[in-house]
Amino acid sequence: MHIYLPIAEMSANVLLFLGMGCAVGFLSGMFGVGGGFLMTPLLIFSGIPSAVAVGTGAAQIVASSVSGAIAQYRRNNVDIKMGLVLLAGGVVGSVIGVKMVRILRLAGQFDLFVALAYVTFLGVIGALMLIESIGAIQAARRGQARALRRSGQHNWIHKLPLKMRFHRSKLYISAIPPMMIGAFVGFLGAIMGAGGGFIMVPALIYLLRVPTNVVVGTSLFQIVFVAAVTTVMQSTENYSVDIVLALLLIVSGVIGAQYGAAAGARLKGEQLRLLLAALVLLVCARIGWDLIVTPPELFSITSFGGPR
Amino acid sequence: MMARAGRRRRIFPLLAAAAVWCACPGPVPAQDAKQKPDAALPDFGKPLRKPVRKKADPRAEQTAAGARLPDSAKEAVEADVSTRTIAVTSAFTGTEIVVFGSVVNSRQPSAEAGYYDVIVVLEGMPIPVTVRRKANVAGLWINTDAVNFESVPSFYAIASTRPIEEIADDALLERNAIGHDYARLSPAAHSVIETRPGEIKDYKDAVVRLKQKDGLYIKEDYAVIFIGKSLFRSSIALPANVPVGPMTARVYLFREGDLLSTFQSKVRLERSGIELWLYRAALHHPLYYGMAAVLIAALSGWLASMPFRRHPPA
Repeated sequence: MHIYLPIAEMSANVLLFLGMGCAVGFLSGMFGVGGGFLMTPLLIFSGIPSAVAVGTGAAQIVASSVSGAIAQYRRNNVDIKMGLVLLAGGVVGSVIGVKMVRILRLAGQFDLFVALAYVTFLGVIGALMLIESIGAIQAARRGQARALRRSGQHNWIHKLPLKMRFHRSKLYISAIPPMMIGAFVGFLGAIMGAGGGFIMVPALIYLLRVPTNVVVGTSLFQIVFVAAVTTVMQSTENYSVDIVLALLLIVSGVIGAQYGAAAGARLKGEQLRLLLAALVLLVCARIGWDLIVTPPELFSITSFGGPR
Repeated sequence: MMARAGRRRRIFPLLAAAAVWCACPGPVPAQDAKQKPDAALPDFGKPLRKPVRKKADPRAEQTAAGARLPDSAKEAVEADVSTRTIAVTSAFTGTEIVVFGSVVNSRQPSAEAGYYDVIVVLEGMPIPVTVRRKANVAGLWINTDAVNFESVPSFYAIASTRPIEEIADDALLERNAIGHDYARLSPAAHSVIETRPGEIKDYKDAVVRLKQKDGLYIKEDYAVIFIGKSLFRSSIALPANVPVGPMTARVYLFREGDLLSTFQSKVRLERSGIELWLYRAALHHPLYYGMAAVLIAALSGWLASMPFRRHPPA
């Protein structure tokens, strides 16, 4: 069964993309990541032009995050206040990011930049999470309760002004670090065609020490809106949002996310982090491999999209 | 001319009849006038000579690039495509275009004689393309050099009665842009200045190679088949990823390495129905399209999660 995609300008196998959406949606609901860092490479591997993959991915993230965020909200796992602060920074970052995509595409260095960004961030975050979660699981096996939140500890973050109380996260910190994190994640998310949850989640856990159960919901909440801004920006700047493809991914992704959220609720925090770390490192290795290994084809062609 | 307008199969006998009778002087020189105006124009309107066998036609020498035809009336090719307008709808998975035509004044004794060679070229609209080349910089493969092409055929399908190298020499093929190697790839002026000529060739080859890999440059030897003494047909499969836009079908008639006649026809490949509507919205109203996309995405995401509200998956 095939359907013609109006913006990607190709005929696509409906079942393939439904399955893809379902699988990514499941992981999205489970880990509280938008799934874009999996969806974008998957779409490109299946032949969708990379610009369209990035643009459509943003629309798909909106939908999958909406359902995921609602699922988390119902479990009372969203810190709205924290989400809004993150969002304020995220929108600024996203606008800069989409502009940057255009500049890099014109210079022909977009793919390289994306690959380097993926390898760097996925590699660092994946490795950190892997080490931490393995330690946590081993500690749990030995019967020790390992305190992830060292709430008594004060570092430079706590010396910043503009302090706010985040009740749901049980935090009293400056608004500047979450805003900076939001902006940074929004920027990278727009460039990497992802919501940025895979950076947001560890940043909230390890930098701000937000409780793990709140992190997932709050991250999804923020991703919904940042992805919405990114979608509009990609439409106007790059004409690269394929709504037909997005709908295919959305319908399947939303259902997958529901089951993912349920599965995630049954797993322990450290197990979730271990699985996410493994997944992140896998994607990192795959992208890094292509950068190092001599490519079979040294040439590549691009014909710019947009008005034709 | 009037025969060309028909596109149904019932036109075949008509074309064949026209080929056999071939007394209409109007269309034939008119076609030549289109292809080689300087050579053919003086003949326009001249009364067609009575077919006399074994006597060289003076027009043949002028028009057919030095072809000395032993026989009287000069051959010409007339052709058409099965579908002039192809609608790209949501169900589009590629399609097949049949290019058919006939040789006017055919001297071929039978369909199997192989007296004539026909090449059919179906070309998509020219688009600007940037070709980049990777080099290893500090262990990483990075795009370092680029050549811009002002125009590259977005699609190029070629079908012929036998391999084109056997039909005509390279110079003739190149002059008529027949074959992937001779497709009109025009590098931008600044790229020509910046890049060594030998390297430009590498980039051109890369375009053709990559387009072939994408199934957009197609070559089918032996795909043009003569059905009768003068009638031939060829079918070209358009892949699902064919770039949407106007296309040109060119038909070349050869005899022993000489180009006797050419013919050109248009194929329009256009979006239709909801595909057209969406494409226009995305292109002309990107802001509204983007906002609608967000709204649809958010709404469908929210709606699809509704059934799980009461019965969340355990």
